[in-house]
Amino acid sequence: MDLSLPLAIGAVAFGIVVGLLSALFGIGGGLVMVPFIVLVLEGDQHLAEGTSLLVIVPTAIAGVIAHARRGYVDFRAAGLLAVGGVFGAYAGARIALATEQEALQTAFAIFLVVMGARLIRDGYRSREPSP
Amino acid sequence: MILSGVLAGLMSGLLGVGGGIVMVPLLVYAAHLDQHHAHATSLAAVIGIGLVGAITFGIDGKVDVEVAALLALGSLVGAPFGARAMHRIPENPLKIAFGCLMIVVAGILLWT
Repeated sequence: MDLSLPLAIGAVAFGIVVGLLSALFGIGGGLVMVPFIVLVLEGDQHLAEGTSLLVIVPTAIAGVIAHARRGYVDFRAAGLLAVGGVFGAYAGARIALATEQEALQTAFAIFLVVMGARLIRDGYRSREPSP
Repeated sequence: MILSGVLAGLMSGLLGVGGGIVMVPLLVYAAHLDQHHAHATSLAAVIGIGLVGAITFGIDGKVDVEVAALLALGSLVGAPFGARAMHRIPENPLKIAFGCLMIVVAGILLWT
């Protein structure tokens, strides 16, 4: 991608938002970065995914350093998750090439809505004083 | 825990979304971590998944290092502020905020 100066500055500014969201929510930020790279910087889908994955690494390291100072990181659980995640990601990429994307997206969206609603409910419920 | 990772990785590889959006609720409801520990721990796991993913795409020449450097320049500035914000937000509002994020993500997935 050949970026003009305004777009390059825009990318840095967008990066600040990605860093904020990533450290705040414990996510990589690929979900906002991939559309940004495709729609604004006009990269193709795969280039966007690969580039976003590379950005995630230093971003997450910076966030984890800040969280670890407060003792919030369970490194043993993170290691186990990463081991499983690496195998899962590889298998997922393989399966993605051979299956219907739309049905998968709908199923995943339903999972997110159900779990999201549960978190919101629990966040409100446990705020009430216990009897 | 490894199974949760496999599930997160599968979703990530299948849909091109980060694993964090899946790992956080699994850490809260399957591993019974509090919301702050779940966010921080998910972020640590994301480092490994991101690294392997970036290498896999990089082998195919599907990584733009210059653009990644620009985005990372910004994200390294934003990350400490995001972390500080998380430390300040109490458990329940953080839970509600993440739940809202999940529903927004679902909307983006269905819309695109």
